[in-house]
Amino acid sequence: MAFLTTVPQRKRVKWKAPRSFLKRVFKRRKPHLRLEKSGDLLVHLNCLLFVPGLAEESRTNTCENKCGIINKEHILTAAKAILKKSRG
Amino acid sequence: MADPCPDSEPTPRTLLRRLLDTADPRTPRRPHRTGAGAQKTLLETPSPRRLRSQTKTTTRQWSYGAKSIGRLAHVQTSGHLEKQTPRTLLKNILLTAPESSILMPESVVRPAPAPQVVQSSRRKSSQGSLELQLPELEPPTTLAPGLLAPGRKKQRLRLSVFQQEVDQGLLVSHEPRGNADASSLTSSLNLTFATPLQPQSVRRPGLARKPPTRRTVDVGVFLQDLRDTDLAPPNIVLEDTQPFSQPLVGCSPSVHHSLPCPSQTEAEDARRTACHRTWSSGPGLQNNSPGKPGQFLTGTAEEVDAFALGFPTTSSSVPVEDGVQILQDGVGEEAENRIEDDALSVSDVKEATGVQEHTRAEEPEGHTEVTEAERSEADLSVEDEEPEGSSGIKDTSGRTASPELTSSIPEFLQTKQLHQFLEPALLPSATVLSSEPQLAKPPRPRTTGPRPRQDPYKAGLSHYAKLFSFYAKMPMEKKALEMVEKCLDKYFQHLCDDLEVFAAHAGRKTVKPEDLELLMRRQGLVTNQVSLHVLVERHLPLEYRQLLIPCAFSGNSVFPAQ
Repeated sequence: MAFLTTVPQRKRVKWKAPRSFLKRVFKRRKPHLRLEKSGDLLVHLNCLLFVPGLAEESRTNTCENKCGIINKEHILTAAKAILKKSRG
Repeated sequence: MADPCPDSEPTPRTLLRRLLDTADPRTPRRPHRTGAGAQKTLLETPSPRRLRSQTKTTTRQWSYGAKSIGRLAHVQTSGHLEKQTPRTLLKNILLTAPESSILMPESVVRPAPAPQVVQSSRRKSSQGSLELQLPELEPPTTLAPGLLAPGRKKQRLRLSVFQQEVDQGLLVSHEPRGNADASSLTSSLNLTFATPLQPQSVRRPGLARKPPTRRTVDVGVFLQDLRDTDLAPPNIVLEDTQPFSQPLVGCSPSVHHSLPCPSQTEAEDARRTACHRTWSSGPGLQNNSPGKPGQFLTGTAEEVDAFALGFPTTSSSVPVEDGVQILQDGVGEEAENRIEDDALSVSDVKEATGVQEHTRAEEPEGHTEVTEAERSEADLSVEDEEPEGSSGIKDTSGRTASPELTSSIPEFLQTKQLHQFLEPALLPSATVLSSEPQLAKPPRPRTTGPRPRQDPYKAGLSHYAKLFSFYAKMPMEKKALEMVEKCLDKYFQHLCDDLEVFAAHAGRKTVKPEDLELLMRRQGLVTNQVSLHVLVERHLPLEYRQLLIPCAFSGNSVFPAQ
């Protein structure tokens, strides 16, 4: 057996990646394409790196407006900047 | 030697030292003097330290004693009686004998100098030159006990007490404790005594361990707390302490409970397989409605009122048709076309018209909440009015329509819902209708198409939205969360497009991890300094890391295989 099926003393992953969800999303958008086995994990990694960036940006926007609560507008402006940056 | 800083307590040791240092070693044997001198130097080096640090622990002395004992043994074994002078003997005593001996200080010390003295006396007889020295040395030795008393009272006491106790045959362990009163020295000595003995816990049975106090869990209070927490739905989504709790898939079932009446009608609606699609989305969306009925109600008050008027009057087809017409006007021509098509396939004309609206409603998204609110209103009020089994359909369609339904058609009240109902049924496939009811959940007729797209899609997005709220560390509005979900949607779109382009560029139809890496490189996440593996290690848990990063295992195997 090449790999460990279970990690000792840890049967539950704290932060699970919604693998089936990601696969489904990809399938739905690009039905003619196939996603490889661990590809969705990397997509999840990408999201994990994208979301905090967005959160940070929106937090900055909120603080600039001296609000205590994050609003839609803050997120919108943040999303514009971040999506543009992560266009690739 | 340097002048010994006259400590407040001239001990016999210091006195002896002084004597030894000051007095000339009148040994005819010059060569041996070097040995004596060496010993003297040995003595001198520790002596100033001892003098200065008398208050310090005696461990050093012990160590010196140990070392010197070794040397002394060597010296004694090697050194013949002839070489040893009383001076050297005394020096050896000073070296070896600690200030406070271990067990029988007096007995050890006294006999030690005694035989030494005896030997020296013997030697004295042989070496007449030593005679002079002896009397010098002897008085100090005799003086020593006398001087000890005023000088080192503590030690003296200790020794005396010690000796008494030893004579009495008490355990050694007790002695240091009995002796140790205040001085740190004594305490340090006690430590040295105590170490070989049993641990204190055993010796002191009084130091009993407290039994662990365990409070029995008050189940009643616990349950009440649970209930209390359930009753308070937070209006504002606060950040989670954990970024990923269970994804909120259970929103649908919870909504079921909130609307038991519609569910009953839905149960009747087995044939309405299409409804399943909208159904699932409906409850999911209706989840929002209780939270924001007010907002939407106020927004669409006018339209609601318009239909509310029509609603209570009749549930007949007349208002329906009117509504349909209005809808058609509002919707457009496409809807009409579809409506016609749908109408043909559907038995109920009303429903057909309703479906038309539905289809039209589907396309524009976004005002789901409004429609939902209306629908929820309509549902509750309509139920009793619905004579047919289509009422159930209506409910489900109403709900299902909510996602697709556009707020632009807020007229979709109870009557309309009937029609809306049909639309989802018609859209996916009429053929599926028959097979649908047999599928997993009878109360929820299923559709393959939009339903998985909406509910699990939203569930998955909410998974990341929760992560967002965790990283934001600030309270957020629910609208903001929806905005986040929209952003994520767009992000996924971009992602998939890019991956497609990359795969096509490589002439592949499968998206491989290399494409992902290229994407991240283009995004600036992976650089020459930061590789993909580093990011994987940082952000993903071990289980995923194992799957992604090839690792060598025993048996000449690598997993995952490259």
